[in-house]
Amino acid sequence: MVSLYNVRVWTPSSLSEALEILQSNGGRVKLVAGGTDLIIQMKNGVIPRMDLLNIQALRELQYIRLEDNMVKVGALTTFTEISRSPIIRRHANMLAQASDTIGSIQIMNKATLGGNLVNASPAADSLPPLYTLNASVKVVSRDGGRTIPIEGFYRGYKRLDLRPDEIVAEILFPPMGTAELGGFFKHGLRLGDAISVVNGAVWVRRDGKEIGDVRVALGAVAPTVVRARACERLLKGSRPSEELFWRAAKAVLEDISPITDVRGTAEYRREMAVNYVYMTLHDLLAG
Amino acid sequence: MAEARVLERITFKLNGRITTLEVPPAYTLLESLRQIMHLTGVKDGCSNGDCGACTVLLDGRAVHSCLTLMAQVSGREVTTVEGLSDSKVVSSFAETGAVQCGYCTPGFIIAVEALLRENPSPGDEEIREALRGNLCRCTGYVKILESVRLAARG
Repeated sequence: MVSLYNVRVWTPSSLSEALEILQSNGGRVKLVAGGTDLIIQMKNGVIPRMDLLNIQALRELQYIRLEDNMVKVGALTTFTEISRSPIIRRHANMLAQASDTIGSIQIMNKATLGGNLVNASPAADSLPPLYTLNASVKVVSRDGGRTIPIEGFYRGYKRLDLRPDEIVAEILFPPMGTAELGGFFKHGLRLGDAISVVNGAVWVRRDGKEIGDVRVALGAVAPTVVRARACERLLKGSRPSEELFWRAAKAVLEDISPITDVRGTAEYRREMAVNYVYMTLHDLLAG
Repeated sequence: MAEARVLERITFKLNGRITTLEVPPAYTLLESLRQIMHLTGVKDGCSNGDCGACTVLLDGRAVHSCLTLMAQVSGREVTTVEGLSDSKVVSSFAETGAVQCGYCTPGFIIAVEALLRENPSPGDEEIREALRGNLCRCTGYVKILESVRLAARG
């Protein structure tokens, strides 16, 4: 067993104390929340050993609220809390679904939404739902705060719009209304506790018999999560039909650039992306 | 302001008793339980949060002790399989024979205990869902499912 015996840990008792430590040590300390990926990466030398700023227990960043017509989720809320939340299940069901399949019960009990965002895996299960919900990321520092649309938060593979003195504090998005539908899909190599080979989410607003508006986001098929805009263009303003679902699903190939890795080949990912987008559209819109 | 030290005094409740350890704060709970407290019921399987053999209860919820830092245990309540000797889950595992090599057993018992505390009469699907993070490589899953059903009935 590899030990982190020589890593020091700061454990602040408030967010303002955490921000103070970050400002004076930014770049020399690494934030840890649930630690379900970070501790593995540090033990295995994937990331360098450095002192940790342990913010897991900060209650200030653990909440799910519906306020000012926005759903607001504190960055340190665990996936167990998110998957069970009536607010999330009602107003962002695809995020509830993603939270419920993100890993084992043991992982869901510790891993946090903010941690999943900052860990920035292209296969992160919470991200496609947040992209389709038009979510924003609120970050704070001693100098104040700013709110960034989620697409702008990711600048490339594991590259974030986040300064070393900043902490992700909240994720916020408009609640889904009754005319809106959401779906999440995840293709792993087994059903439970698996990293996604391809994942994705679809958000649709029906407008009479037509698709009024739609957003489709896919993960694990590009350096960051991507919106499938060619697919969206075909769907928007059209009447749902099996022919349309297939044509739109095939159009996701225009926006993805998967690689081959241990979990699957690029070709396999392309085929699974098309099939799962078709199935999700069918489930949400057929009949 | 908080300070970061190489060794820290960390106080928490362990199997019902207040416990204070002076440890490196980035020691994992797994290391501390096995090497300092000699609670060897908690097993080091994969060290990566995949196998579930190191599962303990942290404030009543199942977590991987291999991915929990001692700094994250301060002020909280930890339960290992040694703290569950009166649990019906333990007697059900014994009665059903849900044990082959036994290495995964403490992790399973903890996961089942967490499940039954929240959901005293789970269906088979709920049992499978709750145990998806625990691996048994002797593949004794059928007996394990039987033992959970028995514990839920009793």
